[in-house]
Amino acid sequence: MSSATAAQGSPAASKAGNQGASTYLNHKKTIRSWLLTLDHKRIGVLYAVTLATVFLLAGLLALAVRAELFMPGETIMSNDAYNQTFTMHGIMMVFLFIVPSIPAILGNFVLPMQLGAKDVAFPRLNLASWYVYMIGGALVVTALLVGSVDTGWTFYTPYSSSGSVSVLYMTLAIFIAGFSSIFTGINFIVTIHKMRAPGLTWNRLPLFVWGLYATSIVMVLATPVIGITMLLLFLERILQIGIFDPALGGDPILFQHFFWFYSHPAVYIMILPAFGIISELMTAFSRQRIFGYKAIALSSVAIALLGFLVWGHHMFVSGQSAISGIVFSLITYLIGIPSGIKIFNWVATMYKGSVWLQTPMLYALSFLFLFTIGGLTGIMVGVLAVDVHLHDTYFVVGHFHYVMMGGTVIALLGGMHYWWPKITGKMYNETLGKIAAILIFIGFNTTFFPQLILGAQGMPRRYANYVEEFTFLHQVSTIGSLVLAAGLFLVLGYMVYSLFRGQKAASNPWGAATLEWTMATSPPDPHNFTRTPIVTRGPYDFHLADEVFGPQHTGDGAGDGAAPEPAVPRKTETA
Amino acid sequence: MAHGHHIIPKKTLFSVFAALIGLTLLTVITALTIDFGVLEIPVALAIASTKALLVVIFFMALKYDNRVNALAITVGLVFVSVFIIFTMLDTVFRGDLDNVSNITISQQEREDEQLRAREPDADQLRVAPADFVGVDDDEASAAVDEAATADEAPAQ
Amino acid sequence: MATQTQETQDVQAHGDGHGHHERLQHHFISLDQQFSSAKLGMWLFLVTELLLFSGMFVAYAVYMQWYPEAFAVASEALDWKMGFANTIVLLASSLTVALSIHFIQKGNTKAMITSLSATLGLAVVFLIVKYFEYTDKFSHGIYPGEAFNPTGSYAYLDVPNAVQYFSIYYVMTGIHAVHVIVGMLVFAWLIYRALRHHFSPEWYTPVELGGLYWHFVDLVWIFLFPLLYLL
Ligand code: HEM
Ligand SMILES: [Cu+2]
Repeated sequence: MSSATAAQGSPAASKAGNQGASTYLNHKKTIRSWLLTLDHKRIGVLYAVTLATVFLLAGLLALAVRAELFMPGETIMSNDAYNQTFTMHGIMMVFLFIVPSIPAILGNFVLPMQLGAKDVAFPRLNLASWYVYMIGGALVVTALLVGSVDTGWTFYTPYSSSGSVSVLYMTLAIFIAGFSSIFTGINFIVTIHKMRAPGLTWNRLPLFVWGLYATSIVMVLATPVIGITMLLLFLERILQIGIFDPALGGDPILFQHFFWFYSHPAVYIMILPAFGIISELMTAFSRQRIFGYKAIALSSVAIALLGFLVWGHHMFVSGQSAISGIVFSLITYLIGIPSGIKIFNWVATMYKGSVWLQTPMLYALSFLFLFTIGGLTGIMVGVLAVDVHLHDTYFVVGHFHYVMMGGTVIALLGGMHYWWPKITGKMYNETLGKIAAILIFIGFNTTFFPQLILGAQGMPRRYANYVEEFTFLHQVSTIGSLVLAAGLFLVLGYMVYSLFRGQKAASNPWGAATLEWTMATSPPDPHNFTRTPIVTRGPYDFHLADEVFGPQHTGDGAGDGAAPEPAVPRKTETA
Repeated sequence: MAHGHHIIPKKTLFSVFAALIGLTLLTVITALTIDFGVLEIPVALAIASTKALLVVIFFMALKYDNRVNALAITVGLVFVSVFIIFTMLDTVFRGDLDNVSNITISQQEREDEQLRAREPDADQLRVAPADFVGVDDDEASAAVDEAATADEAPAQ
Repeated sequence: MATQTQETQDVQAHGDGHGHHERLQHHFISLDQQFSSAKLGMWLFLVTELLLFSGMFVAYAVYMQWYPEAFAVASEALDWKMGFANTIVLLASSLTVALSIHFIQKGNTKAMITSLSATLGLAVVFLIVKYFEYTDKFSHGIYPGEAFNPTGSYAYLDVPNAVQYFSIYYVMTGIHAVHVIVGMLVFAWLIYRALRHHFSPEWYTPVELGGLYWHFVDLVWIFLFPLLYLL
């Protein structure tokens, strides 16, 4: 491991496994030093803990929903309780979990490191984003304490402009949590523009950075609109201003325009960083330069911008004008093009590569499969005439779980496994990792594929009850959700275990070629790098990555692409 | 990298201010004296945009600034227009296929009532599946058969 | 894009040689890099503000197109002279902000403090005018939303959908006024720091950013004035 003496020789690599070295995790230990930290890595960890908690709670609500649907009729909860349960599940998963997820956890941790920077451009704003998020979360809890929300996560008027006052707290919560997104978005864009290490040109940016860049654009452009939407809804409730409420001369369809102007682009906030992660995983575990770097990078930006022109596809049966239905449907088809380009490029990256089936790669392959189904069902519901039948059925529920869970959450899991050694300095149990990945894949499909069929047969969404004929598929789905939960709990278990008992991670266990792996220890120094990196090659130029493979490509580097074994931490290195 | 610190001469700032006052007067005068009809708002907006441009270019010094900042605000403006245009594509043409009515629900119910009062037999008419709820099976299937033959298309 | 990279490289390449300015944060390499980052951040923040206001402009456009007569009648209730006066006030305050930056760039702290104070004063004038406009309307029952019940000399406003006009009017000008108040706090803080000689021609980032924010507040008003008062 010590032969990394080439031009870009990495001091980091030789330090790997050094005990007692100061890292960002142990250089200060008080709770205060965590809660007031300005270090992007620690903020990433704060977010990781918070979001894992939210995911757990919202996931338990999902299990409750599935349990109710195990049999037709009222089983474990009343209709009202059911409405509140799926509403809370949706609100928490969408606004409090999946929108911040990848950018706030992995983006915060990895972005400055991939740029060769010491931190994001505005560290205090970064910490503020976490606090603002927590205030939003507290308001959601308040809303639950003072009453109940059963509008669905979409808050359609006149539902939301009448009924329980908790809606007020909920709209305020979302308004405030929005600022957390905005802060992150601004921070990332400025960081990417201004903080790149010398030599790190736009064409040398890792694709995860491109994904975060595209996401940040959407965050900055779309999030303020959900802010004003929630504000107007709030005023509609307390002053009856009559903008959205039909009883007062307002237009409820206008509310849907406002809501989806944000919420459709928001689905790209969720998926674009996931695309970035998958690009990293595909190339790192195929030992191959990414196929079509520019196409992937620019298609992310294209999706981000095009994503603003299709929001009306959620409103095909709302009573909007027919002409806008037609136009929105046509533009929706276009989104398929950049998405297809990406899938094609990822597959092409594996072709003739040296595919190494470690846990993160299993998630990447799951993603390919699941996102393809999600995207194709998206095109199906994007067809105006077809959607008249499918709208508000379980088909739509199946569609968006395939993209949000099968896409974003699977990519998040892949990314967590990939960067876990870097974040914690520990390796998780690879065998359990593979078992969990397979369980999750099977559980996911068992849960959600039946929902596509149910929807096509006419099972409406958001009902606690259903006709007898649907019983079997609902039961399959519920059983699948238990398998899925088992897989996720397994991940939680071995990840937590690895914190205490895991093997020490090498600085570059996967033999990847981006800066966070080649130039930093695991876990990194508080300032990320011991000296400013100077970049002389692209992020996936394995053939130029002497620091990974050794100067003469003798396989002496930190991780050897030709023979994966040495990349796994050797027994001698473990304490 | 001196471009971040370009000093704008006082003279420029004052002339821009004078132009802004002039344009404000112009917009008031045109609004009060000349009737542009449908062009009234476009004219007002054109003048306002000119003023805005002056503020952005000189007061906010975008002219001397990094072009990325100009790009950012331009992209913002583009998406504001997307928001307005695509929303109005709906609201302007709302009901273009006569697929929505612009009367209130209670008004609709009143009209239904009147219709029913005028044609009491209409209650027997069954077309949609929901109309058959509560009707016993024989009668229902007979009605379906009837409807099928009437349409000359087999049910299912 | 190419120039951008060049700039980053330059900044980072020549950064190491400099002595460290007291205002330089550890994760930046030079004051220039720090300044241009802060500015880009501010512009992006203004983009979010733009999109926030856009929602209200959309609501305005939609209802204006649906109910042009109601809007024409309702807008007559607003006194264009008040709006005009406030436009002049805000334009003047924009000028004084721009001047304050001019002065600090030249190292003239005193003149900068004078212009910042003038800006603060003009913001107060703006709010006073707004206060009289609001109270006049309230006293005649012109409230946003359900409470809308025009009386006296404004009784003629009792037409369908005039309430939408006033709801939009109050929400738009209300949120704008909140921005003016925030701006006043910013200027008070800037004056306080300037009095303690925190700013210099090398480092005056907060003044620059506060100025950008204030110009934006002015920009919104430039559009609100003709759309609300001059229909
Ligand atoms: C290939 C790209 C995609 C297309 C063409 C597409 C199209 C659509 C359409 C037309 C609908 C409306 C269906 C209806 O309500 O009747 C829809 C719903 C939805 N989509 Fe997608 N979609 C795509 C990708 C995504 C992605 C990547 C995500 C999230 C990560 C996503 C999340 C959602 C959600 C959450 C809904 C349901 C919203 C609700 O009504 O609660 N979609 N999609
Ligand atoms: Cu959508």
